[in-house]
Amino acid sequence: MDYIAEGFITALKLLARGDPETYSAFFTTLRVSSISILASMVMGIPLGFALGYYSFPGKRQIRAVVDTLLALPTVVVGLFVYALVTRRGPLGILGLLFTIPGIAVAQTILILPIVISLTATAVSNLDVRFRRTVSTLGAGSKRTALTAIYESRFGVLAAAVTAYGRVIGEVGVSMMIGGNIKWHTRTITTAIALETGKGQFAMGIALGLVLLLLAFVVNWILQIVRRVR
Amino acid sequence: MYEIQNLKRRYGDGFTLDIPSLAIEKGKAYGFVGPNGSGKSTLLRILASLDEPDGGRVLFHAETAQPREPSRQSKQQDRALVTMLLQEPYLLKRSVFENIAYGLRVRGIRRSLRSRVHEALMMVGLEPHTFSHRKWSELSGGEAQRVALAARLILTPEVLILDEPTASVDRVSAQLIRETIRTIRHAHNTTLLIASHDTTWLHGVCDEILKMQEGRIVGSGEENIFTGPWLPAPDGLWEMNLSDGQRIRALPPSEMIPHLTENAVALLDSTSIIVTTERPDHVSAQNILSGMLAHLYTFKHSERVKLDIQVAELPMTCNITRAAARSLGLLPGLDVWVVFKASSLSWQWVEIGIGE
Amino acid sequence: MKKLRCSVFSLTLAACFALCALIPMAGNAGDQLLRMATTTSTDNTGLLDYLAPAFQRDTGIELQWVAVGTGKALALGQNCDVDVLMVHAPEAELAYVGSGYGAKRTEIMYNDFVFIGPKNDPAGIRGKSVNQALNSIARDKALFASRGDDSGTHKLEIQLWESSGLVVPDRESWYIQTGQGMLPTITIAEERNAYTITDRGTYIKYEDNKKGNPPLIILVEGDDSLKNQYSVIAVNPENCPSADYENALKFIDWIRAERAQKLIGDFTMLGKQLFMPNAR
Repeated sequence: MDYIAEGFITALKLLARGDPETYSAFFTTLRVSSISILASMVMGIPLGFALGYYSFPGKRQIRAVVDTLLALPTVVVGLFVYALVTRRGPLGILGLLFTIPGIAVAQTILILPIVISLTATAVSNLDVRFRRTVSTLGAGSKRTALTAIYESRFGVLAAAVTAYGRVIGEVGVSMMIGGNIKWHTRTITTAIALETGKGQFAMGIALGLVLLLLAFVVNWILQIVRRVR
Repeated sequence: MYEIQNLKRRYGDGFTLDIPSLAIEKGKAYGFVGPNGSGKSTLLRILASLDEPDGGRVLFHAETAQPREPSRQSKQQDRALVTMLLQEPYLLKRSVFENIAYGLRVRGIRRSLRSRVHEALMMVGLEPHTFSHRKWSELSGGEAQRVALAARLILTPEVLILDEPTASVDRVSAQLIRETIRTIRHAHNTTLLIASHDTTWLHGVCDEILKMQEGRIVGSGEENIFTGPWLPAPDGLWEMNLSDGQRIRALPPSEMIPHLTENAVALLDSTSIIVTTERPDHVSAQNILSGMLAHLYTFKHSERVKLDIQVAELPMTCNITRAAARSLGLLPGLDVWVVFKASSLSWQWVEIGIGE
Repeated sequence: MKKLRCSVFSLTLAACFALCALIPMAGNAGDQLLRMATTTSTDNTGLLDYLAPAFQRDTGIELQWVAVGTGKALALGQNCDVDVLMVHAPEAELAYVGSGYGAKRTEIMYNDFVFIGPKNDPAGIRGKSVNQALNSIARDKALFASRGDDSGTHKLEIQLWESSGLVVPDRESWYIQTGQGMLPTITIAEERNAYTITDRGTYIKYEDNKKGNPPLIILVEGDDSLKNQYSVIAVNPENCPSADYENALKFIDWIRAERAQKLIGDFTMLGKQLFMPNAR
């Protein structure tokens, strides 16, 4: 139990004296997660909106598939992406393995279902009165769609927060595709895996606390944005 | 304004709407009454272009003389002229100001938004500086409905459609909404289509009242309203005295709310009245009243005629078949007798507005 | 006005994220890069952290390595995802080269394996030979932790069971197959008060982690069958044209040369030498 307390103290020490390995892992995490969040939202929000807003044949089946993908274990995604980006694989020529862009691509695949599903839910939760109200005030179909996205913004924000939490704390994908290479693709989570594997539990806790600190700061900023609106 | 031909709307096996023909004239106010599920909301939504009919046509004539079918593009333009207030208050998740300004912004209007929104707020009795910046979640039901109304009024529609505007709303807001609608009716000559259970109000605002039942219009069902005072008679019935000594007698309501007896209002459906030209002798009805036929109306959509009969100081509306009118040889100015049972009257408590 | 402020704020936030995404890594674009796959136990000793800077200074090549199980390291080489391997599973290595996946296999250093276990030694294996020790463990059904992951260490362990005349106790309840690296396996053995086999390098690292007072101590050592030979293998360019064969060869030449070999010999922890250089 004392490694938890030790972990707290170690965390403070690492941050205070600017431990280079910790900061390297920190910025790697920040960098990778930022890319994957941006990419997944750029792709996922429009797709999720279409899935929730429009009616088309096969809509329910597609929704079921997307929701199933929510349960994908990270290691499975990692294996799948490895098969794609290994030198022998179809995308091998891109040289994504063991690089930060490679991790970002894999993480984007991981959280895309989250963004799509939660956005679709937010949009489909719009009251039927929404369309009637907006229509009777003069909005055409394009305008209605745009207003619908804006009306669902709280749900979409929740989707972003959920996706961010998932991506920041995942290990399976980062390990498989990143390779946990020191200074280069070692994220906080893979560093934690390494340290706990070595039996360095206090260090693992310390890094975990650093990660939580990052997550807290980001969420705090998002709360401010929410209130401003 | 509207010309409806053979309008049908299906729901499962049956019809939600089945209206062979109906005409809505510009500048008039129409009330729609009827039990829940009679198709009022569906009809109003179709007229507001929010729903599609399954059969038949709805022709909409705007300011222009030519009647045209609502095509997709003209539907868009038409909506700017027609707007509908939904039954339950519903606002977008934004500030009051933005909710009201939405319709204008959609039309690309950006100038003088502030003044126009403030004007709309004042029209519905909400103080602009207090309410402008409130969020949708910071309003009571009545306030929300008034904001919704303001959002529509700001568009100066040619046709304003209201589906039970005072139903889910507190008393004060209901009163304000009623007054606002009465005002704009006279100010802008807006065509009004109102569905409501509040028959007293409808009678005050509307030129014509249409009664609906199971998707059909069952004649221009008008109800006679006898405001009383109603006093209990020795034999257990209630009576209302008229100026010429005649009396209307009614079976008292089954459920009584004692302290509201003075405010009891009796309703008599115009189709429950028998009209004769000679005083009938052997009838069981309690009410045999003498009056004069003032007006006689026919309607395009019905095989019935409406009679305005003056009984003492009361104008009474009777609704009988054309055949009956013909066989009686009715002419305006004729002395007639109106006959109806004491049990034909229903009750409404004006104070709280609970329908019977 | 308020709306403008919101939009500006949100855009700034988005820009921040985008910027984070584009921070150029603390990498030297000019330097050359050599990718290596090695085992977790090798990596855990810290040897590569110690050698890599010297290699970069001497050759200008930056060494990046992933630490995985032996099986995966070999697979990565086969899939052309890395340029050079540093592993310690001689039989598998020879087969690998024979199959044409590896080239220029060069032995560089060795250490040995040791049996470790709880201080109270419940099965009484201290000082015995490998054969005797394993038989005692099997007879007493003493808890034994195995790598269970097809690594060099694991393959050696299997060999030892077989050469002691025993069947690999795969389904026995006292046989704990962790499926993980050496240090995690030692951690689990410690937790369960079990015996296990480990390479000395990792054991010294473990000792160091426990600040010189580890719950598990060395009980059997010195047997000939416990030798642990490390080699480097270049990924065969015939199999992988995209592999950086030139720099792989440079690494091999560097590590078998006198300077690197001396560095290896000087690498100590708790005053103990972890690896014996033996490049020829």
